[in-house]
Amino acid sequence: MNRDDVQDKLLAVFRDVFEDDELQISPQTTADDVEGWDSLMHVSLMINVERAFGVKFSSTQVASLKNVNELIDLVVSRLAIKGAEGRA
Amino acid sequence: MNGTLHHVSIIVPDEDRVHELAGLFGLELGRRQYVEEYEADCIFTTGSCGVIEFIIATGGKLAKFNKGMGGLHHIAIAVPDLDQARRELSEKGIPLLETKPVDAGPIQINFVAPAYTRGVIVEYVQPVEAPSTRAASAPPDAEPTRAAATDGSDAGRLSEQDIFRKARSLRKVGSMQAAADLLRDALRRHWLSAEGIEKAGRHIAGYLDDSGTPSLEVLVLGQCTTNWVSTCLTAAAWGGAAALRASDGQYDNVIQELMAAASSGRRYDLVVLLPWHQRLLGAAPGLGQVRIDEEVAFWQQAWQIVTAQMSARLVQVGYDWVSPGPLGHHLAGKAEGPVQLVRQVNDRLRAALPPSAYFVDLEQASGIMGRERFYDARRYHWTKQPFSEAGAACLADHIWSGIRSTTTGPKKVLVLDLDNTLWGGVVGETGPLGVEVGDTAAGEAFRAFQLHVKELASRGCLLAVSSKNNPEDAREPFEKNPALALALGDFAAFEASWEPKSVAIQRMAKTLQLGLDSFVFFDDNPAEREHVRQMLPDVAVVEVPEEPAHYVRALEAGQWFEAVSITEEDRARTEQYRAEAQRRDAQNSFASMEDYLASLDMVGDVRDVDDADLARVVQLLGKTNQFNLTTRRHGLDTVRDMLAQPRSIGLTVRITDRFADYGLVAVLLGVEEVGASVPTLHVDTWLMSCRVIARTVEEFCLNSLVAAAAAKGYRRVIGHYVPTRKNALVADLYDRLGFQRVASDADAGTTYAMDISEPAPSKTFVARRA
Repeated sequence: MNRDDVQDKLLAVFRDVFEDDELQISPQTTADDVEGWDSLMHVSLMINVERAFGVKFSSTQVASLKNVNELIDLVVSRLAIKGAEGRA
Repeated sequence: MNGTLHHVSIIVPDEDRVHELAGLFGLELGRRQYVEEYEADCIFTTGSCGVIEFIIATGGKLAKFNKGMGGLHHIAIAVPDLDQARRELSEKGIPLLETKPVDAGPIQINFVAPAYTRGVIVEYVQPVEAPSTRAASAPPDAEPTRAAATDGSDAGRLSEQDIFRKARSLRKVGSMQAAADLLRDALRRHWLSAEGIEKAGRHIAGYLDDSGTPSLEVLVLGQCTTNWVSTCLTAAAWGGAAALRASDGQYDNVIQELMAAASSGRRYDLVVLLPWHQRLLGAAPGLGQVRIDEEVAFWQQAWQIVTAQMSARLVQVGYDWVSPGPLGHHLAGKAEGPVQLVRQVNDRLRAALPPSAYFVDLEQASGIMGRERFYDARRYHWTKQPFSEAGAACLADHIWSGIRSTTTGPKKVLVLDLDNTLWGGVVGETGPLGVEVGDTAAGEAFRAFQLHVKELASRGCLLAVSSKNNPEDAREPFEKNPALALALGDFAAFEASWEPKSVAIQRMAKTLQLGLDSFVFFDDNPAEREHVRQMLPDVAVVEVPEEPAHYVRALEAGQWFEAVSITEEDRARTEQYRAEAQRRDAQNSFASMEDYLASLDMVGDVRDVDDADLARVVQLLGKTNQFNLTTRRHGLDTVRDMLAQPRSIGLTVRITDRFADYGLVAVLLGVEEVGASVPTLHVDTWLMSCRVIARTVEEFCLNSLVAAAAAKGYRRVIGHYVPTRKNALVADLYDRLGFQRVASDADAGTTYAMDISEPAPSKTFVARRA
């Protein structure tokens, strides 16, 4: 899965979690840009992202994310690890 | 082109029509799909008759079909490749309507432009193998759907994604009520996962705020994070047809938040308190008992504020342990082990709890689900909420059932089917001795269910039968089969006929004089369950699993009969209802109403409200809806304060007649009207049990009140009727009793006055006990 695919799929997750079919995100999007994205929603969002991609994040990784771009990085790297484990 | 007929589509105006037609032609309903583009709910039939698609179009182009009357709409032809079909058709000069195929779940669809088929609308469909790629696909470790459909009534069930999608599109067009109703239906049918429940809770909270719907105001405070639990609580209440707005306080700031709430002037109906064990189990060795004392004292301080300063009801959740910890299982249950400490503190809390408070036993709740599923360590470390999504939703259910039991009270009637519900087999075929009860494995399960249900009856729930059977066949097993644990005398109503069950149940409600919202329906047949759900939405329908061994658990899971206490009256209830039936038979044999009333030999016992009665009086204030003139839900302290004033009057009335002792049937509370020119008694509360209406007990109550008032020197009595959805019964009571109307307002109600300086008692057939 390349970065664009990850971003597309993340968009679907965001729209689902924040219940906004018109929501748009870009790599620069931060929590301040989305209504309702507070610390508790952040946890819900992360858990949903984990579910959608079949990966798990660590607490440190989740807490340190600054924007969507970093989230995409995180997902891509976790998917790569998962892929590597599958091949191993 | 290799096409086959895929389905025929019929547009119908509403869902009732679908069930009507399906019932008429013996069609089985299967998959349901919401297609956003056409704003339509589509239900496909399954089974061997070929596929019919029923389209319920709520808006958009399809709703206008045939001038809104609906009818046969189109035929659909399945092709292996929609794009290829489109190319072939366009070569023939026939265009398809949509520029690209519309996603309708497992099929992609497109329509031939109708002009080219001379009025016959033809749809092309291409079955799709992969699941819809529109949204995030379900991952391997997703949480299982809560109460995964075991009851076979999946016919017409929308997927969770579709439910929220539909709710969103309804909201977009301003249909807020419809969106909220859709979620209510999904919630009460347990169609949502734990995550979906939390999401629904947020929806509903927003809806209640925006629409200003009168709601139960609940404050949730905890020593852990409470936000998910409170959101799920809103959802749980909504699924139970109640509007509940939950506010959270700051994490682990219980006393401060309570004090702030008490002095804020904001009115809360109820407070939920949620402990967590970080301090209890963090004690140094040897200090466990001290810590228990501290925790109990802490909660007692909290209760004080809730009951005395906020005048709110209380739901207290207990402590729980998540794992035995380093001591291991054997030692954790001893002395100062964590499990033992938790159990001790819970025992102390339970013993010290204010009388009408409800205690949610968290050990029981987490035990039934399983602690591994109920708790989530990661979530606890991230957010200080110890519960998993499933655990939070489950806890919310328990809290809701506690709130329900302290407001509307437990459900009062359990309506049971007979064949394959109370026994195995169909009695009309097997005969009374051939039904399975005991002996076989299935028989054991049915017998266990009968015993459970009998036990429910002995603690105050009424049992009723609604069976599609010949009346004689239905009764025979009770008369002839010794293996049955239940007898005919255990039932307050017994309906065996071939009429629709909704008709039978409505008749029962009328006979027992109880609202349908106090009924629970248990039937192994999914079609009957769906029928009752549709026709009688107030009745709680149990999700009955296929396996009889699981019946008891399925009934318990709904927590329909949770009660704060059981009284003697509760235990005698079935007997009372039987006596009532006898009384009604007697009534039919009298020439005139007056002769009949005289023959009843009614005796009324009037007493001042004393401490022994106080709890029962407050319970009645909370539960009585129909014969309740002002519906004031006073708490214990308010009533006590009211009656402490020397000029107040508080009366209870107990009635017995020739047939039965009805116990405490009426409560009248009056306070002095301040600043009146003439000594005036203001009737704050007058409620009465519906079991004794229209027998001149009303007149007896009034006479007793007037006598008590006159004895205290009052010369005038003021009464109010405050209209609610449920008390239309007493809208003209004061008029009938000879009061004068003083003022009337559509919302605030009517004020009445009666001059009592001259004695003029109303005629009554109730004799006062000396």
